[in-house]
Amino acid sequence: MSIPGLGQIAPTAVQTTTSAAVSPTTTQSLEPFWEYRFEVAHGSTLNIKLVSGTAEKDGTELAPSTPYAFTATKTRINTWHGCTLEISSEPGAVYDAYTSEPTADETPMVSYVNLHFKLDGLRATAERTGQMGPRVLVIGPPNSGKTSLVRMLTGWATRVGRQPLVVNADCREGMLALPGTLSAAVFATIIDPTSEWGSTPSSGPSPVPVKLPLAYYYGMASPDDNPRFFKRLLSRLAVASTSRLTEDPGVKTSGMLIDSGGVNAKGGYDHIAHIVAEFSVNIVLVVGSERVGSEMQKRFAGQQTSLGETITVVGLDKSGGVVERDAGFMQQVREAAIREYFFGSSKTTLSPFTQQMDFAALSMWKVNQAPTASDEDSYSEAIEKAEPSLMMQNCTLAVMYATVHDTAETIRDSNVMGFVYVAEVDEKRRKLKVLAPVSARLGDRPLLWGSWPEPMVSLVG
Amino acid sequence: MTSYSESEAVAEDFREALEDVNTNDRHEISNLTLIARENTEHALAISGALVDHIKRIAPHKKLPSLYVLDSIVKNVGTPYTLFFGRKLYHTFMDAYAMVDMGTRRKMDEMLKTWKEPVPGSIDTRPVFPPDVVRPIENALIKVRTTALQQHQAHMKSQQQLLGRGRPTAQGMPYRETPTPPGARPPPQAHGYQLPNHSTNGMSYGQPTQPLPPNYQSHPNMPFPSRSTPQPMPSSSAFQPPPVGGYGMSQAGISTGSLNDDIQRLITAFKAQIAQAPHDPTIQTRLKALVDLQTILQTQNLPQDQLVLVKNQISDLAVTIRASPAQPPTPIPKAQPVAVAPPPPAAAPKVSLDSLFGSGALAALMARSSSTPQVSTPQPPPATVATRSPPPQRAEPQKAAAATPDPMALMNMLRQAGMLPPPTPAVATTPVPISTPVPVPTPSLPFPIPLPIPGATMGNQSRRPVTMETFTGDIALKASSLKQFRPQLLPFLFEAQGPQCTQCGRRFARDEKGKRKKTAHMDWHFKVNQRIAEAEKRGQHRSWLVDEVDWINTRETIDKDHAGHPGDSDAASGGSASKAAKVEYIPVPDDAALAASVCPICQDRFETRWLDDAQEFVWADAMKVGERIYHASCHREATKDGGNTPMVFARSTPEPVLGKRKAEQDELSSVRGKMKTEFA
Repeated sequence: MSIPGLGQIAPTAVQTTTSAAVSPTTTQSLEPFWEYRFEVAHGSTLNIKLVSGTAEKDGTELAPSTPYAFTATKTRINTWHGCTLEISSEPGAVYDAYTSEPTADETPMVSYVNLHFKLDGLRATAERTGQMGPRVLVIGPPNSGKTSLVRMLTGWATRVGRQPLVVNADCREGMLALPGTLSAAVFATIIDPTSEWGSTPSSGPSPVPVKLPLAYYYGMASPDDNPRFFKRLLSRLAVASTSRLTEDPGVKTSGMLIDSGGVNAKGGYDHIAHIVAEFSVNIVLVVGSERVGSEMQKRFAGQQTSLGETITVVGLDKSGGVVERDAGFMQQVREAAIREYFFGSSKTTLSPFTQQMDFAALSMWKVNQAPTASDEDSYSEAIEKAEPSLMMQNCTLAVMYATVHDTAETIRDSNVMGFVYVAEVDEKRRKLKVLAPVSARLGDRPLLWGSWPEPMVSLVG
Repeated sequence: MTSYSESEAVAEDFREALEDVNTNDRHEISNLTLIARENTEHALAISGALVDHIKRIAPHKKLPSLYVLDSIVKNVGTPYTLFFGRKLYHTFMDAYAMVDMGTRRKMDEMLKTWKEPVPGSIDTRPVFPPDVVRPIENALIKVRTTALQQHQAHMKSQQQLLGRGRPTAQGMPYRETPTPPGARPPPQAHGYQLPNHSTNGMSYGQPTQPLPPNYQSHPNMPFPSRSTPQPMPSSSAFQPPPVGGYGMSQAGISTGSLNDDIQRLITAFKAQIAQAPHDPTIQTRLKALVDLQTILQTQNLPQDQLVLVKNQISDLAVTIRASPAQPPTPIPKAQPVAVAPPPPAAAPKVSLDSLFGSGALAALMARSSSTPQVSTPQPPPATVATRSPPPQRAEPQKAAAATPDPMALMNMLRQAGMLPPPTPAVATTPVPISTPVPVPTPSLPFPIPLPIPGATMGNQSRRPVTMETFTGDIALKASSLKQFRPQLLPFLFEAQGPQCTQCGRRFARDEKGKRKKTAHMDWHFKVNQRIAEAEKRGQHRSWLVDEVDWINTRETIDKDHAGHPGDSDAASGGSASKAAKVEYIPVPDDAALAASVCPICQDRFETRWLDDAQEFVWADAMKVGERIYHASCHREATKDGGNTPMVFARSTPEPVLGKRKAEQDELSSVRGKMKTEFA
């Protein structure tokens, strides 16, 4: 079985490469600062149990003697005090793992955790003075561990009782919503370590508290596909986030943690500046690129936020554990996200509903690419009315919080209510078969159709 | 290294849940019974926790805990009856001796039921076997007769001694103590009793009312003598020493209760700090105490060391009572001093350094390994060898990462003037340090912890050091961020308290933390219950909320403690019945129906996320036939009155939208008014 992205990493530090074939249960001892890095293929499961000591996954502490089942992931478990892990898998499970054995001098985790403590100090100050907590933006080249860092800072913050508002400004990946969206959510409870960001509300209970996101639909893979639309949505998100921040005292002092898409050294700083301005970012973390760091340093030197604070740019090393997540792996991740949205995870099985809809009853809009649009005209056409067609088969559409009677602008600016998956388009009978999370008719909710996430063939049937 | 066994963790949870049982709340008691029932495999640990708790808790709170015991033995039975039975005489009599007459009557009644089979049970055997109950009965009979005879004599002697008459069994021991009770708020004062129970027989009552010396030397004296005139703070006399006597030795000293004692001392010290904010001595002591507490919380110390610690702690308790807010003089004990004079580093000074515990601690730690104390076996050098280099670098805190050898800590406490010098026996007997739990990993022990701003230092009148202070030296620069600061790590780990065994979240050991943990465990319990149900029913992903609702949403953690601030005691009984009346329906999935309005008032329904139901609901809504009405409107319309809309709206359970709840109050009352006006 050939799994893209597996087996191609060379152990950086030394030591074992655990092979799945050898033994289904192994014990792994980690010394302080060590990391157990592992990749689990889609369809395989790796069970990890903390036997002794303390261990974290992305800032969330593992409970002792509780098995955690990891699947379809490339991640790591780190320890500050040393720990013993019990690792087991079913025979035939495909995974790859090794331990990284850095010292406190070598691991960037020290910087990350210091950063957390510093932020918590700033939050304490904010609490005392009634100000807003720090607004932190994380940027860096692709595959530099930005999202992991944001998740880590989130995990640590919730552990000390903070409620940071976490914003995903990366349209390529979703946070608590499908890829192609920009979203925000307040994290007051722990993140399920076996998931990326946790789960969203369903009709049943969840063993780990659910997170409630606010999502806007962009429907394209790159901010450059329609920069004006992208910025527009960022502004919407910023307004909502800032409202939440100012009205919710717990969130206010905790501030924001903003994840962004990758930037390359060539440029693309435009929307970074936009995020900094819109979200009143006062701390910019640049992971894994001195060049981007110095560019940012120059760009924001002497600038102030709307609240009159100076903008601090901090350069951070990227973790040695960050691996290239190739296109194939990422596509699998996206498909897994879609599948999980409708069908749930191994922990909670969800039952979506299939329904037939007449073309006539649908309000369908297409998200347009407009890479160079700069004038208002082409921008207002960011979405346009679309007739259902075979092209939509296997696509995931966003259901918007608007009505069919609303203008294109209103629909475009609305937030996402959920998603439906187009299982079948019958152009002759002018009928559409969709998979929806809930059983009811969609009524007069408009649907938005974008190119991202890409069509997924294997969801049903 | 934290490696609670599961039993310990269950017992710990149970113990914490017990802390909240302050009244004879049927709900709480049955809840605890349920926990006991579901964890019979940990019956030993749970029964131990309960017995400990009954022993420890203030007299006026003993009855509810006894009811818990009663409920468990009656509803669960074996193996609990076995475990409780062993110590029942002690548990019961110790409590009996301390409580007031009203409680005693209740206890008598309870005892009576133990001789009989459980009502309604097919089992005809009594709750406890006769050989368990009879000694108690005998003792009680003797108590009653002797008490009658000696009551008057006792009253007289008391009046002579105290200048006032107090009934023996009444009142709080701490009131008898010389310190003006007004100096500290009463809730803290409760804590002062606790060291009473210390095994060496020291008690706060002593300064005013020394016990007859022979009293302590015969702790196993037959019970009747206990009813001899005896000033109240006498519980210690009833308590057997940790070794011998009624089989109590098996229980030994629980780290839990020791922790609580320390916690109370910490509170006391903090109160002192509040009185004398600038006295560095107290601060040093406090810090050492906090350190000791952390050691206890994070390591499994063997019994003999626990005994040691406990004795010292209770001595200390006496000191702090004897000399409140005074610069502490080391307790004069005539034992040879085995410890070198305090190193200069121990000289208390308030600086960032001493707050961090780095300088002073480091020196102390270093000392303890070079003094004659070396006869104490140190932890295996492996620990040092595997320690990663950074702590040894040129940082000032380097030694802070040194092994928290319990003996070293004891020394530290001594040198800080908190503890008397060790007894020769202690100093010379090699204490078997199997302590730092034998983890297969040779690993870095927990760094020396700090006073915790939020958890332990918080809630004091004086603003304590906060994260701001601790992180002051971190600059948002790459170089500054790269320095490892081991002294900060505890803020993410042990300072947050022990972990929830289900999800790994940590909860502080203070009152607030305990309340949170109870709410949290309830949440787990309920969710686990509902998951089983939901699996049968089938579930689906919900729609997300719209922008406005999202902005107005407030995160709920374990659903409540932020939620009903006021009603915790008043409505805990009532809320269940009220909640049953709350009317809501799940938001209709049908989009057309979802847009419907109340046919009576033509208003839309309010969508909320109801954590209890884990779904979006329309509050104050009910479905009548095919139509959905506001429950309040419908009630008004059909005049099935009784509940005004106001009352109803208040009893709406979900705390999610606190703000909107208030609005709804107004709205529905306005709506109600309009209708009455137009009627």
